Amino acid sequence: MGVAGYVALRVGWAAVVSVIIVTVTFGLLAAAPNPSVQQAATQAALEGGDPQEAVERERQLRGLDEPLHVRYLDFLTGVYTLEWGWSEYRSQPVTTALADAVLYTAQYSIPWTILTVLFGPLIGVYSAANMYTWRDHAATGFAFFGYAIPNFFFGIILLLIFGVWLEWIPIVFRTEVPAFSLANARQLAIPVFVLVTGSIGAIMRVSRNESAAFRNATFMKTAKAKGVSPLRAYAYHVMRPTLVPLSTTLVGQLLAIFLGSSLLVEVVFGIPGLGRLTFNALVAQDTNLVLGSTLLFTFLAVVGNLLEDLAFTVLDPRISYDDREL
Amino acid sequence: MRPGRHTIGAAGGPSITRRQWLTGLGMGATAGLAGCSADDDSGTEATDDGDGTGSEPDGTPSVSGTYDTVIPSSFSTLNPLYNTGSRAGTAIGRTLDPGYTFNTDGEYFPLLYDLSTDDGGSVWVFDIREGLSFTDPYGQVDASTFVYQIRELHQTDWAATAASADWTGITVEETGEFQFQAELPEPRLLWPESYDPLLYPVPTDIVDPYVADEDVEGLRQEEALLDLSFTGNLGGYTLEEWERGAGTTYSRNDEYYLRDIGEGPELFSNAPYFEGASIDVVEERASRLAALETGEADSAGIPPERFSEFEQNPRVSTYRIPQPFNRILSVNMRDNGWNAGPGNLFRHTAFRQGLAAAIGKEELIAGIFRGLAQPHYTWQPSWSEWHPGDDAVTQLGTGDRYGGEVARGLVGDAIADSEFGYRFDGNALVTPEGETITLDLYHLAGGETSQLIAEFIGEELSDSLGIEVTIEAIDAVRFQQDYWTAAPQGGTDTVDGEAVSWDRPTPNNPGPRSVTSAESWDMSIVYGLNTYPLNPLTNAAFFDGADARYNPVGYYPEFDATGVFERARSADSEAALQEPFTELFQNLAEEQPYVMLAFGDELSGYTPDLVGPTEDFFNGWDFPAWYFDA
Amino acid sequence: MSTDTDPNAEADAPRFDRVDWEAYAGGRTGRVSTTTKLFALTVAPIVALAGYDRVAAGERETVFDAFAAATDLPLQAFGLDFAVTAVDYAFAATLLLFVWYLVVPLFQHPRIASHYWRRFKRNRPALVSLAWLFVVFGGGLLGPLVLNAPEQNILAGHQPPVGLTVAEANVPQCVGEVADGRCGGTWEYPLGTTRGGVGVFTGVVYGMTISMKIAFITTTIVAGIGITVGTVSAYAGGWVDEVAMRAVDIVLSFPTLLFFLLVLYVYGAGLGMFIVVFSLFGWGGTARYVRSKALSVSEEEFVKAGRLSGASTRRVVRRHVVPNTASSIITQLTLLIPGFLLAEAQLAFLGLGDSSIASWGQLIAAGRSDLAFAPWIVLAPGIVLFLTILAFNFLGDALLDAVDPEATTEAER
Repeated sequence: MGVAGYVALRVGWAAVVSVIIVTVTFGLLAAAPNPSVQQAATQAALEGGDPQEAVERERQLRGLDEPLHVRYLDFLTGVYTLEWGWSEYRSQPVTTALADAVLYTAQYSIPWTILTVLFGPLIGVYSAANMYTWRDHAATGFAFFGYAIPNFFFGIILLLIFGVWLEWIPIVFRTEVPAFSLANARQLAIPVFVLVTGSIGAIMRVSRNESAAFRNATFMKTAKAKGVSPLRAYAYHVMRPTLVPLSTTLVGQLLAIFLGSSLLVEVVFGIPGLGRLTFNALVAQDTNLVLGSTLLFTFLAVVGNLLEDLAFTVLDPRISYDDREL
Repeated sequence: MRPGRHTIGAAGGPSITRRQWLTGLGMGATAGLAGCSADDDSGTEATDDGDGTGSEPDGTPSVSGTYDTVIPSSFSTLNPLYNTGSRAGTAIGRTLDPGYTFNTDGEYFPLLYDLSTDDGGSVWVFDIREGLSFTDPYGQVDASTFVYQIRELHQTDWAATAASADWTGITVEETGEFQFQAELPEPRLLWPESYDPLLYPVPTDIVDPYVADEDVEGLRQEEALLDLSFTGNLGGYTLEEWERGAGTTYSRNDEYYLRDIGEGPELFSNAPYFEGASIDVVEERASRLAALETGEADSAGIPPERFSEFEQNPRVSTYRIPQPFNRILSVNMRDNGWNAGPGNLFRHTAFRQGLAAAIGKEELIAGIFRGLAQPHYTWQPSWSEWHPGDDAVTQLGTGDRYGGEVARGLVGDAIADSEFGYRFDGNALVTPEGETITLDLYHLAGGETSQLIAEFIGEELSDSLGIEVTIEAIDAVRFQQDYWTAAPQGGTDTVDGEAVSWDRPTPNNPGPRSVTSAESWDMSIVYGLNTYPLNPLTNAAFFDGADARYNPVGYYPEFDATGVFERARSADSEAALQEPFTELFQNLAEEQPYVMLAFGDELSGYTPDLVGPTEDFFNGWDFPAWYFDA
Repeated sequence: MSTDTDPNAEADAPRFDRVDWEAYAGGRTGRVSTTTKLFALTVAPIVALAGYDRVAAGERETVFDAFAAATDLPLQAFGLDFAVTAVDYAFAATLLLFVWYLVVPLFQHPRIASHYWRRFKRNRPALVSLAWLFVVFGGGLLGPLVLNAPEQNILAGHQPPVGLTVAEANVPQCVGEVADGRCGGTWEYPLGTTRGGVGVFTGVVYGMTISMKIAFITTTIVAGIGITVGTVSAYAGGWVDEVAMRAVDIVLSFPTLLFFLLVLYVYGAGLGMFIVVFSLFGWGGTARYVRSKALSVSEEEFVKAGRLSGASTRRVVRRHVVPNTASSIITQLTLLIPGFLLAEAQLAFLGLGDSSIASWGQLIAAGRSDLAFAPWIVLAPGIVLFLTILAFNFLGDALLDAVDPEATTEAER
């Protein structure tokens, strides 16, 4: 079996995982009482109608009178054909709601990802190159600080300092400013900083430790002996091998942080992105929207893990896909 | 001058654009909003109008700036037919005036139409202002617009609009191009004050296809209604964009009809005075306050503990506005209430009085509201014209009617009256088996003030009566569904010696005490209710007998409530109303159908150069006349 | 970890964990070990108490009250008067597990213990971290017995910490001294109070208990599932391995926080549910890690030898694979705990946590609106949370060094 076969199987598996997660979600929701049915009864009674009849009508409308397996199949088809329903909380289709929100989430998560991916390994390698100097200590301190300080705590404190006391940044997130403008950069600076601080630490540590292993490798000594400039030697002989194991941990880690942090940071900074959408949908009991955002995050996680695995397979020649059945 | 309206005086009524939405009485969702809106996080959301009479500048002020407000949560719909939220009401009101409002003296002020009655409230005539038009191509607003809306939407089974409960049993008839009349099943002298006849015009052409198909989903989701693109000259501003989850932005409407009406403040002639407006959703309270302080927002609500600090802050001008939504402790008198032992002590009036006496209103107001609230003794705020006067009602929970002694005395009366062997073990009330009484108390999840109040009540009951209170946070929707409402069932029961039959049960009063919600509960402070100081007759929905429209707690009046409301309804003058109302409020203070706690003031802050806001209950009725005094 | 292992370094590095574990576990096979017996003996009363709670104690009394009433023991005098929850029982059982399988072995083998200690001592940040964690642990364990549960006193809201002042306008009543219109702090509330007048210090101490419960219980469950799946998967291989690793895939791609939110949305959830959900979906990484470690261990000569000499699979896994990966597992778990603590704090901050418990996240959430004038409500629990997470990270890092001498940290140069 070749690479293509392995990749195909892995993709197939990702699809299976998504179905399993969707099924669990369906099971959870099917077991819960449906609010809209109750609502119909309330409404009917207010108007002097027959609540029982209204309940029946609502059940029929929502397809709740169908047997479970029919509802399950309907649900599954709906999910995979992107028929995610109407969000009562936002008065727009769930897919539109998610698309709107993704736009804002992207505005801070793209710079965040780029900065993390760019500076994480760089500082890590720099740290390793200057191992045990004050530079290394400073970088390590920063890394530890970053992943130990809770994002939301850090966020509200920075907002207090820079927004309220110094008035350098706006407190209210303005959606009307263009995505590529100074005003937008200003209002996103602190959220991005908080997120980068939170995520860069782990990557710095991994790349530092990884490159430390290469630092004393024979090929580095050879390179140094040959008079290759230290920078060049590092770029070629340390950065490159470091990136291999790093890339395998990167996706998963970023995804995990993304799920939790986007929610918190968006709530703290008032960014109307995916995280806040999910949170509000939960609080407002908008089942369609809760489901929609759960599915979106799930698919992101599944695809992320898939990419991570594929990267691992492709990048690391030591893993042979031949003797793995799947 | 039409009879029965203008004489109401300063009885107080909600500023219309934001509170109309709260009046759909009997609807749980509405009560929920009332509960939330009384919470700390709501504060003021840019109350709408203002009072230009405070300062009379030479000529009209220049149009400048944008009026930015911040609110704690976003709105779920801007569809005027389906909105029941007060914040969305504000957002809609910017672009679309409602039918009428009440001015700063509490007098009726016609906006889109005038309301009059010649026969004591049986037949009401709607005179629609001429020159009102929708955006092209929807044409003008006339009698048929409203009549069609009432008949084909509000009065049908399928549409289930927000106003549908207000129009049942009313016959509407078109009597001219700009006039129609409504015949009520029984005369209602204060009909406008109940906000029931308040309508928002919606173009027939938009609605028509859905009426033909009876497509409620389609109507709810209609783009043109949601983005308010039909509002023509009907509002001071035009909705630019509704960014879901972030708020709304508006631009000034030059065509505003209000400029030409020749009534109201002079300032209306060039209204509005802001180039634009915006409502931003900012969920963090600290951020909203910071935005107000730094001038990013022109208006925001202020929590009690920051109020005095902001009062001294030159960058903010503060307003303390009394309001009619109360803080109450609801006790479940139905069969699934009182889960501490046999029977249900909540059903004993003396026990409810005991609870009221155990909870110190002064400490509550000093500690949690920081003094910015009024004690709540009877179902009416003290500033209401109909309040019987402090001396006339029992003031439980204050002074010598507060404390363990008093509470235990009252509870002692209740347990003597009870058929079960509840007794006192020292100062603690115990079950017949000698076990501690443990009751649960639900409060709104996420509301810091409501959690504090719950904890306070818990400690007071523990100190005075030895009752252990388990405090549970709950989501408003879940509480509404599983605790506060039940499937209407009906039935009969004996109330105060008379047989009462629940002929028209509602989810909020599904039947006698034997009909219960899905989940059992003991006590709740999730919802606060409106006390309707403008038209206390509306309170009939709560207290008009055990089978009243809204009675989730299963309260059975022990006085002739139905008779009192009957007398109030048949009163032919305002003066004649006072007597039945006094009797009503004295009895309610005595019986504590809900254990009454306090009326928290609405605390708002505005940018100091804003001219318009007033520190009274009608603050915001003439928002179009507000301006920045730069 | 490191990819090009230097055989010399391997030989030089003291592989204490391998050899000594062997010696320690050496002779006793087939029988239930003394440790296990002792563990069973100590955990029995807890199980009994839990059973007693279910059967005998009334719905409206705590198990201690019931027990005290039945036996005339003055339990209240020892601070044992709180209501015991399922989480408490799990916590107690977990603590015993740690005592018997981690602390006692260290005492039984002073040589290993002192070796670890010497290595460990050189890493000063880790030492400080350990000390801090002991403070949190001790505070969490003893605090509730010494301090009364956080109690509201609305008239004492927003009191400042000792040595600080707050504008009088911001407090309903000043407990301490008023000077120049500013209210000063008192020793009654060393770290000030929240809006509801709950002492922040008490809140922080009670928060330690919550954090310790989360740390211990989730770790135990995660370790249990992760180690079992990982070792079995590694050793059995074939389709068992395949199934197990696919299960790990699912668990790993499962957005736990979201799933928890869904559960919360549908059924509502408290601390117990939090622990269950997060540990049921948190073992993926551990299993994967253990599997890879176990795989490399099972390639070692002594394991091969064991196999050749006819040892059963179970025996090989128990006697060789688990002990030889133990230190790596502990390290991995240490680095996992901060994630759980953070998750709880995040949920509490969002108001989605268990509102009946006084966790740090809850305190931070309660104070965030008042940050501008009462920063202590947020800062005290925030800093404690920060330090605790930091300590776990430093500790994990140091353990990593101890286990993997290759990746030395700067502190022990």
